[in-house]
Amino acid sequence: MRARVWPLAAGVLIAAAALVAVSSLGPSTPPTRAAQAATLAGELRCPDCQGLSVAESRTAAAQAIRAEIVAQLSAGRSADEARQSFVDRYGDWILLRPTAPLVWLVPLLALAGALVLVTTWMLRRRARPVSAPATVDAVTRGRLDEETEALDA
Amino acid sequence: MLPTIGHAAIVVALALTAYAAIAFGLAARRGDRSAATSGRRAMLGAFGLAAVASVALMASLLGHDFSIAYVARNNATTTPPFYSVISLWAALEGSILFWALLLTGWSALVLHRYRDRHVELMPWVGVTLALASGFFFAVMTWPGNPFERLVPVPVQGNGPNALLQNNPFMGLHPPLLYLGYTGLAVPFAFGVAALVTGRIGPEWLAIVRRWTVIPWIFLTAGIVAGAWWSYEVLGWGGYWAWDPVENAALMPWLTATAFIHSSMVAERRGGLRIFTMVLVIATYVLTLLGTFLTRSGVVQSVHAFTASAIGPWFAVAILAALGGGIGLLLWRLPALADRRPAPELASRESAFLFNNVLFLAVTLVVCFGTLLPLIVEGATGGRLGLGAPYFNALNAPIFAALLFLMAIGPALPWGGASWRTLRDRFGLQSLLAGAGTLVGFGAGMRGLAQLGTLFLALLVIGVLGDEVVRGTRSRGRTRGEAVPTAAWRLATRNRRRYGGYVVHAGICVMAIAISVSATGASQASAALGPGASMAIGGYAITLDRVVEEPMREDPRVTELRAELHYSGTRSGAVSTALRSYPNSTTAIATPGVRTFPNEDLYLTLLQADPGTGTATIQAFLNPLVAWIWLGGFIVVLGAAFAAWPERRRVLAPASTAVPAEPLAASSPSVEGA
Amino acid sequence: MRPWLRWLILPVLVGPVGWLLFANIGVDPRTIPSQLVGRHLPAFSLATLDGATLTDADLAGRPAVINFWASWCVPCVDEHPVLLDAAARFGGDLRIVGVVYHDTPDAARGWLGRYGDGGWPDLVDDGSLALDFGVTGPPETYFVDAGGVIRHRVVGPLTTVSMAEGLAAIGVGG
Repeated sequence: MRARVWPLAAGVLIAAAALVAVSSLGPSTPPTRAAQAATLAGELRCPDCQGLSVAESRTAAAQAIRAEIVAQLSAGRSADEARQSFVDRYGDWILLRPTAPLVWLVPLLALAGALVLVTTWMLRRRARPVSAPATVDAVTRGRLDEETEALDA
Repeated sequence: MLPTIGHAAIVVALALTAYAAIAFGLAARRGDRSAATSGRRAMLGAFGLAAVASVALMASLLGHDFSIAYVARNNATTTPPFYSVISLWAALEGSILFWALLLTGWSALVLHRYRDRHVELMPWVGVTLALASGFFFAVMTWPGNPFERLVPVPVQGNGPNALLQNNPFMGLHPPLLYLGYTGLAVPFAFGVAALVTGRIGPEWLAIVRRWTVIPWIFLTAGIVAGAWWSYEVLGWGGYWAWDPVENAALMPWLTATAFIHSSMVAERRGGLRIFTMVLVIATYVLTLLGTFLTRSGVVQSVHAFTASAIGPWFAVAILAALGGGIGLLLWRLPALADRRPAPELASRESAFLFNNVLFLAVTLVVCFGTLLPLIVEGATGGRLGLGAPYFNALNAPIFAALLFLMAIGPALPWGGASWRTLRDRFGLQSLLAGAGTLVGFGAGMRGLAQLGTLFLALLVIGVLGDEVVRGTRSRGRTRGEAVPTAAWRLATRNRRRYGGYVVHAGICVMAIAISVSATGASQASAALGPGASMAIGGYAITLDRVVEEPMREDPRVTELRAELHYSGTRSGAVSTALRSYPNSTTAIATPGVRTFPNEDLYLTLLQADPGTGTATIQAFLNPLVAWIWLGGFIVVLGAAFAAWPERRRVLAPASTAVPAEPLAASSPSVEGA
Repeated sequence: MRPWLRWLILPVLVGPVGWLLFANIGVDPRTIPSQLVGRHLPAFSLATLDGATLTDADLAGRPAVINFWASWCVPCVDEHPVLLDAAARFGGDLRIVGVVYHDTPDAARGWLGRYGDGGWPDLVDDGSLALDFGVTGPPETYFVDAGGVIRHRVVGPLTTVSMAEGLAAIGVGG
């Protein structure tokens, strides 16, 4: 009975994945100006508060920056131009999402390196003859492991 | 009088910890049991004296004794008693005293509990804990004296930090966090003891696991409570800002979590000893780093205490712990090396291994992101900003991968799995999780973050449920127990395993809630006149009136309050305020939060004019936030269940039952009976 | 690998951590280096508390101190005597311009009445001039030389020392 579950599961999974894909890609309507302003405010650090973005803060400076974002976008400037105008005045410090590639690459490379290292270790060490009991197949071994484990605390 | 007693207690406690370190050292060198007993008593004395000093400071705060600088800075005659008491840990020097109290408390407990066991390890555990505690007493004796006198004595004090006296939760969040932080000194002490003595066996692993899980529970509760505090008090509508000090609490939590998992592999099949030891050392060093970041004034944070002279002291302590720990590890490296074959790729061991890699990856991202501004600052004098968008972008996929491992890990057998096992264990579960995802889509969830998390979390819950059902069924069959009895006995016979499953289920609840609340929140703001309304989601929010009045609990505080009501999906009244404290330049927001199962209606007052009766209101609709706190509660409950002391089982009958049970379970004659 | 080589890990790990910890002690993370030092001051044309209008062009030819403040700002009270003292001593060679930051003109006038009006113009800013200067919060002071170039910035309340440093940067009081 369990064997017949898989084709059905595969069908449901594909349907779910398709739905997720469709819903996350979504219709490609350009974001409204208000949405653009909110996104940009979320990426800028509030100058006179602690660790919050301009979008989240209610200090005077944050309100002024929000107003200026709206003003700049209304004047027809792009979000990138508006962002740059703040960087010119406050420096890279104001960006909560840094632009320097190294800041992104270091953690990603470290993660990739660690994953490759662990995987190759497993594959290489396995290639050597391991003293696995040949008489017991994997299912039984798993089963035995499981049963004995239930006994130890 | 009180300040003199308090200060004397600290100085004597410093001397006692120094004595204890020497006594334990002698006990270790000469195997002298009476020296160990003496050291243990000295540590107990240090704990008693830390308690005396803490009570003295609390009493001085309650009595508004402004001849003590700490009291003058953090208390006023109008401060309510509750906030006076919790001011013990609300500022720098007091928090160090509180830290020393908890650390000596854990030390005394551990040294007492294992006084007759592990005779080789315990003296070194004692040395480490005595030095760790002594450090805090030394800080209080020299740069950070909580009983520093103030001349002339002011008639009125500053009062507590406005942010910290705005919510009673301040009484719970720091103690929980500190209990976690300080408790993590215990596994480090056992780590040092094991490295020095070379006794790194199953006995060591069992103690360290236990003493990591216990502080882990407090740390988890403290972090969740902190997120709740941030949400309820700070008024920006969120609960986690990737603030450097939040990160500082998260980092040791991540490495401690990694340790709890890797220790299971180490225990099960041996090996991974170097890695396990690295995690123990890293966890402790990261707790010290967190203290340093909070207390040295090097980072900008809601939590940062004012800049102080104790920065260099903590820097030296961190280097000593790091250098000492790594040095010992390098010395023992040849003996620790693992020569076992690597595990199969599709096995539980490898799931644990990858879990550890991912936990360390999150730690690295958080550590790198937290420290990078400091690196840039130290190297170039420039400033670099890193914030929530950075951390979210890098960590979200890693957390998703962790959820995936959480789903497959518990169902993969030790040693290795065949295709058939995988099919048996995941077929139905992925079907159900896929169906659940479709239901989520129908309920309005959208996007990869929400639906992907939902699918993985449901898969985890499905797999865990299946494990419990199988276990219960087989127990019911073989022993003829009813389902509830069988389930309870199954869980209590292997608390660690089933407690762990509850923790995982709680994490899944949190993961779903976080993904939905982080990507599905909406907000609106409007300037309202009296009787005017604004709309958010299915709610209409109407301003009734604006009131400005002194607070009843503390008349020095002026409260500017907007009273509102909401109607639509649900209806009721809510108010939100801005409180002006005499010692704070900006008014403190007091958000009005209405929590419902599916969403929170969260209102903050941006500004108001009592003259015209107008108010500018910012409204957030945050979906599923309540489930984050509920999930956190489940996690803590599960971990407490797992850590609960098990009754010592009589070994003899159990060992005879070993061969019988698995055979009986698969025997058709029993099944038919 | 030679066995002793592993000991290299110790300095490689502890060294940078030590540097990181000690390099940052005493550095205030709230002071962000100004992007405007070395640049020409931003253009503006704003009303003063007295109702006159002041533009950036009016500042040309004389060194200027531009001080952002507010009546709700507590440390501004502490630094005010330093500004009054500088005005008294260098009045002829130096222009002082106050900028009222996120405040109402009435509150600002009341504050000046209480703590002393130095007689220099105070601009009423809706926040946009502060943004153009990259102000993080009051009090914050910019020192502009006679050519209109920003030479120095002080974040937080001015002291006699930081005032003297700033003035030296724009060639006042040598």
